[in-house]
Amino acid sequence: MDLTHRKMLHNLSALGDLAAEISSTHNFEDVTRASLHTLLGALAIPRGAIARYTSKPRQLKIVAAKGSAGAAGRRIALNRDEVERLTDHAHPMSVQAQNNGLAHFVGRHGDLLKRLRAHLCVPMIARGELMGLIYLSEKFTREAFTEDDIEIISAISRSIAMAFYNNRLLVSLKRKAEENRRLYAETRQLYRDTVRAFGAAIDLKDTYTAGHSDRVARYAEAIAREMGVTGQELEHIGVAGYLHDIGKITVDRAIINNPRPLTDKEFGELNKHVTTGFEILSNIRRPWDQIAYMTKCHHEKVDGTGYPAGLKGDEIPLGSKIVTLADSFDAMMTDRPYRARFTLEQTLSDLRRQTGKQFDGEVVAAFCRSLLKEINGTTRDRVFIPMIGLRFDRVAISATLDSMLGELDGSSSEYRSAAS
Amino acid sequence: MTAPEIRSRLVDDAAVIYPGTYLNQLRGESIENQCQELLASGIRNIVINFEETELINSIGISILLGVIESVNHAQGALVLSNMNASNRELFEMLGLMSHVEMLETEEVALEKLCRVETIV
Repeated sequence: MDLTHRKMLHNLSALGDLAAEISSTHNFEDVTRASLHTLLGALAIPRGAIARYTSKPRQLKIVAAKGSAGAAGRRIALNRDEVERLTDHAHPMSVQAQNNGLAHFVGRHGDLLKRLRAHLCVPMIARGELMGLIYLSEKFTREAFTEDDIEIISAISRSIAMAFYNNRLLVSLKRKAEENRRLYAETRQLYRDTVRAFGAAIDLKDTYTAGHSDRVARYAEAIAREMGVTGQELEHIGVAGYLHDIGKITVDRAIINNPRPLTDKEFGELNKHVTTGFEILSNIRRPWDQIAYMTKCHHEKVDGTGYPAGLKGDEIPLGSKIVTLADSFDAMMTDRPYRARFTLEQTLSDLRRQTGKQFDGEVVAAFCRSLLKEINGTTRDRVFIPMIGLRFDRVAISATLDSMLGELDGSSSEYRSAAS
Repeated sequence: MTAPEIRSRLVDDAAVIYPGTYLNQLRGESIENQCQELLASGIRNIVINFEETELINSIGISILLGVIESVNHAQGALVLSNMNASNRELFEMLGLMSHVEMLETEEVALEKLCRVETIV
């Protein structure tokens, strides 16, 4: 093989190495260093540096250097005119040239050019924008650069410039994605806070139910999680818990707080809260649109005797079945205008009696498992404990829950052993 | 990226470095660092044995130029040995043969360096 072909092969191989580096997943500092080595090694140039251009502030910063230890990190300020002149020079130029309008710029960092023994500088241009500048010393052999050498330097510099352009784009996209993620998280938090505030406002109508919506949401989430519900569906169930009684804002406060048994007319008025709530929430668009229907169905019963539509079994959304149980548990465990709170034993007895009638068996089983885990300390969650307190017969309650799980054919063996 | 380990040994006042099969950036930078350490510790005679080195790419050339400059700056002596034909051709093509000594074997290189030491 003659010398020309050998040189061509070496230069092609250098371009190949550069392409591999540029497309690698190494960090960009390593890629820049390897790119500089590739360019220097292609033509046996002992010293050189790559400076990155930033427009704010308008300056070059040495990001990779070889042959001058103190060069890396050095910044060189540019004025607008110099940026334009460098952008117009897409080809290597001698740093000694006086006729390119850059003599002042060269003079401003003469010490650095001296340390790098800079002979050529090559503006890195990508899509018409200045990406940076490459400084090159003479060849190791001190031979002059040939026209072929200049072509190779230009080609490699263009590739490095493109890598800088793409990296800038990637960094900007990452920054925007991060910003979007932050904004999305903030919006979600704001949404959740608003929903909680609504829940608290609903509860204010009833002097007996302070914190009811908040607790129903937390119970519903705990039960849903126990059933394996995750992600957005879990979030929707929690929101339905917060807003299940939103329709009560149109019900007369005297009916809600009436200590005597309600008349049929009053019942009719109170029961309207599910359809009113649905109307209020039905304006909420995707992906939260199912929340309105979940709240509408939270007084449906699996045996079909509930309201407003008398739905049965699986006609009722899972989220509604969960909210129904969470709502009833909280209602039984708190004082009401017309009765005192139930004991935990009484509440569990009622849940057991109503399983398959008012409540879905799988939901009751998930509730029992969650409660049992908290009682036995097999979870750090404290969702139900704040409500049930510590004054109950732990052994008896565990046995009741275990027995309920047995009846429901829930997977209770591990809780059985934990309870004992 | 973790820096690869580069094998080396001391023979009297000289050090022999074995770059391994492929001289790329990581291995090259390790060799450069090792040479700097040797020079800092007072070793002035260095042999780089390329017997196992199948390929030196342009990154490897750039780094070797740095090593040559460092040894020259420290007024030391560097000999490259056991280089295969294609790597030797690469050095010839880049015009580097007159700037660095290249000998057939490590033994010959060590002998040459020790002789130089004696004369000095």
